[in-house]
Amino acid sequence: MFSTLMVRVGEVLLPGDEFSCETDDTISLTDHVKPEKVVCGPGLRRSGDRLVVCKSGVLRHKQPNVFWIDSQQRRYVPAKGETVIGIVTTKSGDIFKVDFGGSEQASLSYLAFEGATKRNRPNVQVGDLVFAQFIIANKDMEPELVCIDSSGRANGMGVFGGGGLLFRVSLGLVRRLLSPHSEIRSDLDQLFTCELVVGMNGRLWVRSSSVQQTLIIANLLQSCDTMTAPQRRELFRRVKQGAL
Amino acid sequence: MQLSTIPPRSYVISKSPSAAKQMTSSTLDRLLFLHGGGVMEVCGSSSVTLREFGCEQSLLSRPDGSASFIQGDTSVLAGVYGPAEVKVSKEIYDRATLEVLIQPKVGLPSVRERSQEQCVRETCEASLLLSLHPRSSLTLILQVLHDDGSLLSCFLNAACMALMDAGLPMSCLFCGVTCAIDTDGQIITDPTAAQEKESRALMTFAIDSTERRVLMSSTKGSFSVHELQQCIAVSQKASEKIFQFYRDSVRRRYSKTL
Amino acid sequence: MAAGFKTAEPLEYHRSFLKENCRPDGRELSEFRTTTLNIGSISTADGSALVKVGNTTIICGIKAELANPTVEAPGKGYIVPNVDLPPLCSSRFRPGPPGEQAQAASQFIADVIESSEVIQTEDLCIDRGKLCWVLYCDMMCLDYDGNVLDACIVALLAALKNTQLPEITINKETCSPELNLEKRHGLHIHKHPVATSFCIFDDSILIVDPTSEEESLATAELTVVTDEEDRLCSLHKPGGSSLTGEKLQECINRATVRQREIHKLIDKVIYSVKTAQ
Repeated sequence: MFSTLMVRVGEVLLPGDEFSCETDDTISLTDHVKPEKVVCGPGLRRSGDRLVVCKSGVLRHKQPNVFWIDSQQRRYVPAKGETVIGIVTTKSGDIFKVDFGGSEQASLSYLAFEGATKRNRPNVQVGDLVFAQFIIANKDMEPELVCIDSSGRANGMGVFGGGGLLFRVSLGLVRRLLSPHSEIRSDLDQLFTCELVVGMNGRLWVRSSSVQQTLIIANLLQSCDTMTAPQRRELFRRVKQGAL
Repeated sequence: MQLSTIPPRSYVISKSPSAAKQMTSSTLDRLLFLHGGGVMEVCGSSSVTLREFGCEQSLLSRPDGSASFIQGDTSVLAGVYGPAEVKVSKEIYDRATLEVLIQPKVGLPSVRERSQEQCVRETCEASLLLSLHPRSSLTLILQVLHDDGSLLSCFLNAACMALMDAGLPMSCLFCGVTCAIDTDGQIITDPTAAQEKESRALMTFAIDSTERRVLMSSTKGSFSVHELQQCIAVSQKASEKIFQFYRDSVRRRYSKTL
Repeated sequence: MAAGFKTAEPLEYHRSFLKENCRPDGRELSEFRTTTLNIGSISTADGSALVKVGNTTIICGIKAELANPTVEAPGKGYIVPNVDLPPLCSSRFRPGPPGEQAQAASQFIADVIESSEVIQTEDLCIDRGKLCWVLYCDMMCLDYDGNVLDACIVALLAALKNTQLPEITINKETCSPELNLEKRHGLHIHKHPVATSFCIFDDSILIVDPTSEEESLATAELTVVTDEEDRLCSLHKPGGSSLTGEKLQECINRATVRQREIHKLIDKVIYSVKTAQ
């Protein structure tokens, strides 16, 4: 299965495409045969002894044996450990309800902030933006967010300060921005200096020196969705010429 | 019997003239798939011809997935919202609730649309993996832009492309094929409105992509068992072309991120 | 024990029966429930019939009215079928405008009437472009226990066969129609379409004439309508799990047998009504 998957890495696959597990009919007695294992990421499902694609997109591979489908969807489905930008919608007793663009609202305990205790409540108001991480996210339970990491530190999470602009892009673009050596990010760095917060739920938050610049950045990022790399570089070059 | 010749496949891709234009409006490249020309005849076991068809994915900004599908002059626009919050009265504890709404070109949806909604909904339910999003709602809206025959199959094709665009988990794809049997007993696939009117029987099938089996069937007029089997066989053959088109169209869409 | 099992795991409960090739009510997989037919049950209607398929009860009444033909078809009358699933028949239906199932059923019946040509609408024309008959066929479900489509078609066909239209003469001087209620004649029934519904369990097991419980647990439904010449008038499968060609052929074969049974039943009931008179 591993080899058949490897061959198709980088190809566009559609739901219903299958990979069957081919077994060698001869078993070597001398060689040490390592059982091949494949880790399925989003968009791939196991069905019996086959692997079935359930989303359209590009097959990606990460060493040593992780495979997933990279798709451009807009609606966010929460996953444990992912960081998102949410909007606090209600305050009720011990928890805040946070809208993160999924099918239901997530809960966020007021104790899940750095340094928060029963006496020392964090200052969070309805309508505030929070950058938080999912600790519970599965289809059968209400999703739960926290603004601290496992050691109780904020680690960049928490309530947003004033200023800045929140906007939406596709989930595919968010993943491209967050990839370790993102070209878009480095292209943008050369253009403007700005503060950029990327939520896995497709929400971006930008703050820069002026409102004008913030708007330009937002527009540039939103248009990146539908452009190829050369088109993007051309656009960035022209903005640079115009802006400078 | 005459053999219809098929010209080599050609793609017409209209690119936006400038990148600056793309910044303001998210124009998406449009893919047109030209195949054969106009009307076709089925020649024994030879290939079937369909009207030229086109598709554009994620052309609307608000819905989570959208697609327009064009078959000849018939054109349908589809939008998908979800998985979103569900009304308590419609909540199903172990799977998502799918709602299909068909909007005719003029007037309000009538009984005919209701029955088509039922067909599209149950076909989608069979191919979607609804149990992966329990207690949520999916809404599929199909807007008729122009009806020139084979409308139900166009609904199905637009629905499939929109569901795929929304990134909803599906176990397989499906496509719709309409066959008309004319007074001479000839089978016409993908008929126009005029051909539909003259036909003796009209059948629409939804075919799944993995085993090429019949997911949905809706018929009009009377026909023999043999004719039915012929039509199913022709539809299965035609479905190959549509699935290949789906693949080309999605490949085109992801070409920028390859 | 069995009752608890049925409530807690209805699907498993049914599967355990299907494994033994039978169903919870003792039927075989391809066995219909007892079909009972009564003709002329409503004396005020022009034609009527009451059908029971197991517990499912459908009453059909036909009312003939005079109307102007449409401009597009001046030489034709028309038939307006309507299926009503009132809250009375099952708790799943709510009061108010007809739900999706009732609307889809009405559309299906209308399609079958048109496709099968059970009545040629030309027969309903009285005076071309001026006067024609409209047949309002109302099918009301009194008890819902699955398979309404089959029961509706039987009720409709029997009611149509029972329909007696009054003779009509057009007064030459006043140009107004005159009804002769004493002298009535029956409709000419060209075809005898009969529907046979199936359910697919677990994507593979076919069962005929499903009860409402079986319908709700099944993965797909399928209705085949055939006439006496073994032509198919409709193959209605609104979706659900897919079906192979062989299985489809099996369904069609069962449907043709069912057509013979129902045709015989209707003829027998009509004959018995005649001899009783």
